[in-house]
Amino acid sequence: MEFWIELVVSVFLVAGAVFVFIGSLGLAKLPDFYTRLHAPTKATTLGMGGLLAASAILMTYQQGHLSLHELLITLFLLITAPVTAHMLAKTAMHHKLQITEKTVDKELSKRARERNTPT
Amino acid sequence: MNLLWVVLLPLIGTLVPLLTERFGRNVCAFSVALLPAWSLILVLMHVGEIFDGEAIRQTIEWIPSMGLDLSFRLDGLSLLFLLLILGIGLLIILYARYYLSDKDSMGQFYAYLILFMSAMVGIVISNNMIQLWMFWELTSISSFLLISFWSHKPDARKGARMALTVTGTGGLALLAGLLLLGNIVGSYDLDTVLASGDLIRAHAAYPIALVLVLLGAFTKSAQFPFHFWLPHAMAAPTPVSAYLHSATMVKAGIFLLCRFYPALAGTDLWFMIVSLTGLITLLLGAYIALFKHDLKGLLAYSTISHLGLITLLLGLNSDLAAVAAVFHIINHATFKASLFMAAGIIDHETGSRDMRKLNGLMKYMPHTATLAIVAALSMAGVPLLNGFLSKEMFFAETLDQSMLGSLSWMIPLLATVGAAFSVAYSLRFIHDVFFNGEPIDLPKTPHEPPRYMKVPVEILVALCLAVGIFPAYLVGDLLHAAAFSVLANDVPMHSLSIWHGFNIPLFMSFLAMVGGITIYYNRRHLFEFQAQFNEPDAKYIFEGAVQSLIKFTQRIMATLENGSLQRYVFLMLLFTLVMSAYPLFELTQNAGSRPQLPIDGVAITAALLLIISAIATVIWHRRRFLSLIYLSVVGLIVSLAFAKFSAPDLALTQLSVEIVTIILLLLALYFLPQSTQKESSNRRLSIDLTVSALIGCVIGTICFAMLTTPLNSISDFFIANSKTGGGGTNVVNVILVDFRGFDTLGEITVLGIAALGIFKLIAKMRIYVPTRDDKGRPWTKDRHPLMLAMVSQSLLPLALLVSVYIFLRGHNLPGGGFIAGLITSVAIIQQYVANGVLWIKPRIKVDYQWLIASGILMATATGLGSWIFDKPFLSTWFDHFHLPWVGEFELASAMIFDLGVYLTVVGAVLLILANLGKLTTSERVDNKENV
Amino acid sequence: MLNTAITIATTLVCISLILNLWRLFKGPSRPDRILALDTMYINSIALIILFGIASGTALYFEAALLIAMLGFVSTAAMCKYILRGDLIE
Repeated sequence: MEFWIELVVSVFLVAGAVFVFIGSLGLAKLPDFYTRLHAPTKATTLGMGGLLAASAILMTYQQGHLSLHELLITLFLLITAPVTAHMLAKTAMHHKLQITEKTVDKELSKRARERNTPT
Repeated sequence: MNLLWVVLLPLIGTLVPLLTERFGRNVCAFSVALLPAWSLILVLMHVGEIFDGEAIRQTIEWIPSMGLDLSFRLDGLSLLFLLLILGIGLLIILYARYYLSDKDSMGQFYAYLILFMSAMVGIVISNNMIQLWMFWELTSISSFLLISFWSHKPDARKGARMALTVTGTGGLALLAGLLLLGNIVGSYDLDTVLASGDLIRAHAAYPIALVLVLLGAFTKSAQFPFHFWLPHAMAAPTPVSAYLHSATMVKAGIFLLCRFYPALAGTDLWFMIVSLTGLITLLLGAYIALFKHDLKGLLAYSTISHLGLITLLLGLNSDLAAVAAVFHIINHATFKASLFMAAGIIDHETGSRDMRKLNGLMKYMPHTATLAIVAALSMAGVPLLNGFLSKEMFFAETLDQSMLGSLSWMIPLLATVGAAFSVAYSLRFIHDVFFNGEPIDLPKTPHEPPRYMKVPVEILVALCLAVGIFPAYLVGDLLHAAAFSVLANDVPMHSLSIWHGFNIPLFMSFLAMVGGITIYYNRRHLFEFQAQFNEPDAKYIFEGAVQSLIKFTQRIMATLENGSLQRYVFLMLLFTLVMSAYPLFELTQNAGSRPQLPIDGVAITAALLLIISAIATVIWHRRRFLSLIYLSVVGLIVSLAFAKFSAPDLALTQLSVEIVTIILLLLALYFLPQSTQKESSNRRLSIDLTVSALIGCVIGTICFAMLTTPLNSISDFFIANSKTGGGGTNVVNVILVDFRGFDTLGEITVLGIAALGIFKLIAKMRIYVPTRDDKGRPWTKDRHPLMLAMVSQSLLPLALLVSVYIFLRGHNLPGGGFIAGLITSVAIIQQYVANGVLWIKPRIKVDYQWLIASGILMATATGLGSWIFDKPFLSTWFDHFHLPWVGEFELASAMIFDLGVYLTVVGAVLLILANLGKLTTSERVDNKENV
Repeated sequence: MLNTAITIATTLVCISLILNLWRLFKGPSRPDRILALDTMYINSIALIILFGIASGTALYFEAALLIAMLGFVSTAAMCKYILRGDLIE
């Protein structure tokens, strides 16, 4: 295998994995649900992009033709991740989960919650 | 001739009355008689050959690969019984035409009667024990229908049930006995079995087989102690009694004794059981018959007594006695059938069967009375009538045995006593009914019956007389032929004449006459004596026995099957533990010789996740949603494991099944409480934990031992033949659609049935719909979040594309119809979740039930298609083609089969999930507010 | 170099999975747990892709694709369950 392909693949791999890890770390460490929601839906999705890119490059190189499989997965993830986040946020609002003290602009979240509360 | 037709014609005739009933009673009766008459003619055409000592056999191959044939044989014994069954049957048809009232359904009655007739014919001409038994059971069932013909009467229902229970139980014993015999001989062929008498009698299992077969015969022929059902079966219409309880059904047991005489008789055991049973039955029946006030009751006990007589004769192990038995079969059938018919006429024309009311009928119906008196005299054994002849032979035979050693003299004595009682009750029948003053408030004024109702009685009584006067001329050949097939060797010299000179049997007859007249004249004392006893009513005893049996089984059921699923699982696991742990004690070496894979971090992580989530699922099982989430983790890790250990097909299946399961559980969870109370005691918990831990250890050990042992499995065959034989490189898929295609067909059929069952179960279900969640929060009003709805719609084509892709490549790479079907279902369910039923309805106009049906049909049709090419069911065809632009591609019939699988899976999953989801749609209060 | 990268990446993803399980345990709310499960689905995809790269075959791609697709369905269904109770209406 040519060195530069190996290099590119390795970089994508490690970078992607780091982002995936950061997403999960955030999920574990962040103080309230709303902050936690950010980590996996953003960082992990990005990290997955990295991993899939690495796979796509490697497979294309190995098989000699363009590997589009990974693109399909990426597409799926990119479309679904925001909807997942949206739905989860809705459930959190529905359950009136507490926000952490450090959150700025509490006024906004308060208004949002009032709007969502069923009468 | 075709022996098959002898039994087939009446069987077809069962349908005739149902078709001709509307054309009136005469047409119906006449048409009903046609087919049995034809059958009788078929039989009569062969009388000559049979009399020459031949037996006609016919075998029709049915399932040759399993050695199952339809096998018939017509010999002397069969001929005798066929004449009785078909001949008397025809008379009964004529008689019943006048007996049945307008209210009775004639077609139904005749249909049952002819069904019974066919079953009897089947018994007597079967040449295979299992086949004989099938017809035997058919007589039990059809006689049940006949006895309970007047089903509005409780007596008829109870009597029928009793008869069915007793004869059915006997039938089971008979089956066991026949199987045992078949096992001893190595064949179920009657010819072979009857020829192996010595082998059977020498075998260690002979006593068991004998007792079982005798149980069958004795229950059917109402022998003591099973005699009690027969009097209660008198609740049947009289034609039925005349037919079943004189000539045929009760004679089936006798027939069985005769049929198996060459194979089973000749031992002391046979003598002890058969002759003593017969003797007791003879005496008991004759004694009780005297005290019955009911005409048919008297005749029923008299029948029991005469059946006992025949049984006793067969039990004597003497060739001449067997001849006498066969002779008495004929005689008893003729006089008893005519007596029953006469009793039926009396009942029909006077409205009563009570002999305390029936008196002096000679004046009102002289013709019938004369016929009945002649028949009754024959029953009493008066000279010049057929009953006398066989009774003489019977007496002679009782004298000619020494089986009881120094007590042998008791048998002729007791036989004379029985005969005396027989004379007494015959006298009572004659004197009490036809003379003895005037009738006492009868419901109807007695008069002669319609002309043709008497014809059957006349024919039978004429036979009684004719046989009584010219026995050798009329029945000599028949008797010889029948006795020949009973004895299976030469028939001893016997003389069928009226006068044998002054000898002891004649003296015994004389004694019996005198004794009988004496008993009858002093009957008042005897009645008083008998009145001291509380006669036990067999009905109550029987019902009591049945009830206690039911209670007993209910108690067992209550202990074993109390509705607690935990308990079933516990018992099942305990059983598995005991069964599987024991062999493990002998296994000293767990690890086999296969090299073990190195353990890496990923494996440890996965194992950790799997174990922790599995334990968490158990620990939090009372918080259902939480438990479900942990369960999802377990499923996910399991599918990862499948992927890792080179089972991509399994991984895909596991994943899709996992999601379908989650959706199903979520749907069900809506109707269930979110959390449950702690319901098990700590003691219970610790026991359960111990058992499940032990089970885990045992199963784990087995898995470890199996995984580490190199196995020579059949998978090598599949791997080697998948491409060449099935045209696909994905072995899993080729196994599913080709090698094991029949299994798959069965499985999708089961899937379809299950889905339909669930659909029908939930279709009309109305269940409580919670308006708030477990924390009391009201549900949100946003039914279909916009983003979810939109994105789901746009994802649908993508998901369908994936499923088509997975379907198409299934034959060569991981995938296939089953997985593709699940993916499609999940994609459509997602639309249900995101957009709701109302949105889907106009868009998917497919009836899921039709989808299932067409899927199974398609798979079946693919299988059947191979028949066109003269190949076995479900043979696959494949070939490679080359098209410009597309390139080389492969077509296989298995793909159509797979498409059937696909459709069935989609239909089944959607039918279940969508309908479970729809349950709430119309019920929700908050929906109605919003819509 | 590639092997080292794969090892590092795999280790990181494994740790991520354990962290997700930790969040699943900790909760405290239902959305937290669903989020943890969803992340586990995605991390599993990562694991499968890494496995595919390491073994140099595209055979596991469908499994990854299916998790991506079905994981979303599962998460959406669970959210719908919490919001409305009834999945299909």
